[in-house]
Amino acid sequence: MGEQHRNLARKLVTALQRKDGDRKRRPVHTFGTGASGHFIPSPVAAGFCDAEHFRSPTPATIRFSNGSGSAVRRDGWSDVRGMATRFHLSDNKATDLIGMTLPVFFTPDGESFLKFAIEARPRPCQRATPWQKFRDMLRLTPPVPDPYDGETISPDAGAIAFAHQHDYARAGVFQAATIGAPQSYARAAYHAVHSFVATGADGTQRWVRFSWQPVSGVLTTDPEKDPVIDDYLQAELARRLRNGPALFSLMMQVGEVGDDFNDPTRAWPPHRVRIMMGTLYVEKMLDDVTTEKLSFNPHLLTRGIAPSDDPVLWVRKSAYEVSSGRRRGTPCPFHGER
Amino acid sequence: MQRKAGWLDKFVDDLPSQGWFQFLSRHLVVPYWIWRDPKPVLPGGPRPSVQPSESVQRMMNLIMPLKDPSPIGRARAALAISQNVDEIFAGLDNVGTVHNARFLLLDGNICMLSVYDGDFSNYIRDFIATIGSVFDAVMKEVEGGDAMVPTTEHIEEFIDWVCAHDLFQAPDIATDLFNLQDAAKGIAPGSLPHDLRLLPRELILQLHSNPNISLGGGYRAYPGYSAAQVRQKFGVGW
Amino acid sequence: MSRIDHSQLQGNILRGYRFGLVRHMLLEVTDRATVRAFLGVAAQGGGAEVPAITVDQPPDKTWPRDQKPASCFNIGLTFAGLRALGVAPGDLATFPTEFREGMAARATKLGDFGESAPRAWSQPFNRPEQIHLVASIHADSTAELDKVDTQVSRAFAVRGRLDGYALAQDKVYFGYTDSISQPKFSHVKDEVEPIDPYGTVLLGEPTRQEGLKFGVPTPQVLGHHGTFNAFRVLRQHVTAFEQYLDRAATELLNHPDSALVLPLDAQFSDGEKPLDRHGMLREVVAAQMCGRWRNGVPYGSSPDTMPDPASVPLTEYDYGRGSRCPVGSHMRRTNPRGGAIVQRIANYTRRLVRRGMSYGPIHTEGDSEPEVGLLGNFIGASLGAQFEAVMCDWLNLGLQDPDITGANDPLIGANSSETSWFDVTLRNGGTIRLRGFPRFVSTRGGVYTFLPSMPAIRYLARLKG
Repeated sequence: MGEQHRNLARKLVTALQRKDGDRKRRPVHTFGTGASGHFIPSPVAAGFCDAEHFRSPTPATIRFSNGSGSAVRRDGWSDVRGMATRFHLSDNKATDLIGMTLPVFFTPDGESFLKFAIEARPRPCQRATPWQKFRDMLRLTPPVPDPYDGETISPDAGAIAFAHQHDYARAGVFQAATIGAPQSYARAAYHAVHSFVATGADGTQRWVRFSWQPVSGVLTTDPEKDPVIDDYLQAELARRLRNGPALFSLMMQVGEVGDDFNDPTRAWPPHRVRIMMGTLYVEKMLDDVTTEKLSFNPHLLTRGIAPSDDPVLWVRKSAYEVSSGRRRGTPCPFHGER
Repeated sequence: MQRKAGWLDKFVDDLPSQGWFQFLSRHLVVPYWIWRDPKPVLPGGPRPSVQPSESVQRMMNLIMPLKDPSPIGRARAALAISQNVDEIFAGLDNVGTVHNARFLLLDGNICMLSVYDGDFSNYIRDFIATIGSVFDAVMKEVEGGDAMVPTTEHIEEFIDWVCAHDLFQAPDIATDLFNLQDAAKGIAPGSLPHDLRLLPRELILQLHSNPNISLGGGYRAYPGYSAAQVRQKFGVGW
Repeated sequence: MSRIDHSQLQGNILRGYRFGLVRHMLLEVTDRATVRAFLGVAAQGGGAEVPAITVDQPPDKTWPRDQKPASCFNIGLTFAGLRALGVAPGDLATFPTEFREGMAARATKLGDFGESAPRAWSQPFNRPEQIHLVASIHADSTAELDKVDTQVSRAFAVRGRLDGYALAQDKVYFGYTDSISQPKFSHVKDEVEPIDPYGTVLLGEPTRQEGLKFGVPTPQVLGHHGTFNAFRVLRQHVTAFEQYLDRAATELLNHPDSALVLPLDAQFSDGEKPLDRHGMLREVVAAQMCGRWRNGVPYGSSPDTMPDPASVPLTEYDYGRGSRCPVGSHMRRTNPRGGAIVQRIANYTRRLVRRGMSYGPIHTEGDSEPEVGLLGNFIGASLGAQFEAVMCDWLNLGLQDPDITGANDPLIGANSSETSWFDVTLRNGGTIRLRGFPRFVSTRGGVYTFLPSMPAIRYLARLKG
């Protein structure tokens, strides 16, 4: 099983590498901004999850990122953003929580993700002709948005074609295509997408999903206006943190009978019980060298929180390790594990 | 290299903001598609669900057109509610599954908006059993309502009627609209391919069939708890 | 005296036949005229080639109670069946929505999802449009069943047959004694439960809810004194159930509050041999999940020992505040009796007549365990107000008491091991929450049928066109 995952992971990391990407960096979520801070659990958190960081305040390292794997930073373009958080536990142990602004994943397992990565590989994109746009308007379909200045390849057409054939990809692709750009990394909500099994103080197991909600609120840029600045998110965060920490609430949805615990393409409806698990204080910027060396892994968990059987979560374990090795990052927490 | 935008590009890009083009869209393009691809009316109210949190704090958005929308008719409707306060509270306190209920007069309609727990038809049936007289008083003021008075003897018809007048609740996940439209045509959800780019058109056409809808299933600060659970937690009894 | 003419009712509604065997035939009407002729004869006492439809009481009352016929024969029609027989569209539209849509369309409400979803149902339930009639034959020998079967097969296309039988001592496969408590109608003497009005099962009669009447489909002759039936094929996962009892008993054995579940000096047998403490705790879990000990004794009447059922009244009890019978038990969920419930006005309003027989074992390749289960009939004047109401708000969801809201029936509910929970009651009023049990009963198929009165069957037989 492990070797099978690693083989698939190698193929995945290769397939995700954009031709305009940088092989010395991450194949996706290439540009990141690091920060440090700490997490303070809510008074009820430990009752629902007995992990150390839900029992006592914990230092944290955070990497915000743009989803694109292009070697050019385009903060203002519509793109999924990431927020990877490492909680530094006692005895030099750690646990990671990796979220993105998309509430669902594109595919339900590793094999289909490889297929998606290949079919939705960025392709040359062009402004639609006036006739194509006119035809779309007559079909009551919004015309394909014009490429940004300097945008020559795009994954959108491939992703939409994939979702046409695979209904599980619809929600993810639709939301990714309309996601926009945040005004600030501190003004976006991030979702950990997979289900985890949380064990409460009394031993009760619950199948749960995590989301970070920005205390300052969600705010995206105006999609009607041309994005003018390619690189503003890092400076914005630095400016923001000079005035005080940026706060995120960690909310935990509890799964119910009939929910799919192992399929990350299906969001749980917003009516599930939500537990307020704690607040993250993002306090200080980290330098880029430290940040880019970091190797996160969604499987780096700790007692009290375990992975579900979600196959994408399992293939990500190997994919993050392969990617970390290829770019010579700090060794992945699972490096050398057999 | 990207193609530069010429005058024709700019002209077409600007079309949606042109009055004449909007007129054309509204009176020609949309009606054409309504004729080409009519959508069945999607049923009102929350959809059945096996998840407990979907089955509590459900919404009813009942829009009932008044027989007489003049101030006189609207006053009669207002009286039908205000003269039955005891009946309403007796119902609330004994049906036990209602979080809140509100009545509005909105243009020529009387609207009943409520948040309740459990199955819709059980909620309505239990309410009719306790305060059928209030429903009768309201139904007498409502178009097509006479046929269902007394409601205690037209239970099934009344439940179906309410379902038809309760607003369709748009899915919380936008792309689920495809599945709901398929299901209304008897097609198994997920069995047909759908072009995501057509979702806006599907919505436009659906809004022709269901002009008034609820946008999503509502947003809750404390989801997943029944009225009786809240009352029990606060120690006020249920 | 009741004004109900019992000679005009089908015999399987107000009482059970208590035969040893049953065969349900799932039939399609392929030749309308033949079927009408068949029904005409069947509803007039039968003939050489046609079985008689069994009535509740013959007009001349010539059946001494102890001399049963060799077999009983009854029919129910699906909505597709009424249409196939030529009921006018205007009349079809007067049947209630849930019946018109059919059981498969109501799956979510009934908790039929995942492996219980209609798309996973076995033949012929995966083609509900082909099921027009369910003919039920009750007898004590297969030869009698076959005799009637042969006659029926001449008039219909047979899409499926389901054979069931009564297990010894009215048991079901989980080991419980079943069919103890049923609605009691005006003609049956009763103990503590209120008499159920005939409207519980007969359309056109007053119901338990004051002033409330269920709609009678038209024409009057077709709808009057008819009733509805939810016929379900329910697979019972016996091994999973017994294994879970083992696990739960071990948990309770080692629990610090074990003595509050069952006194440490408790001693009882399973009726044959004495049980050790683990064995007794297994029975306590089984009893609390059901509401009755497996031998039929109400758990609330005797929470510390499983007594001889002959020594305890089996139906005379109620659920007071201090009852040890868990609110979440199967019995309390399906019939809360006079116990406090959130929907105060609904006590006793969702009563159902239940008639079930066991089936199996059926060996299927690739299945680790032969299939056994229950062929269940759940009869009432309104599927929506009775069967569905119990299924979606009480049996699953648990809306009737805030202590169980969010949990499903431990025994037959739509559970998943990731989310299931059940509170075992303790002697001091506290509880221990059990978790992680799977679904023990899954749905293999089912249909909603209309059980017409005798005049209605004759009406159907006379339809033209």
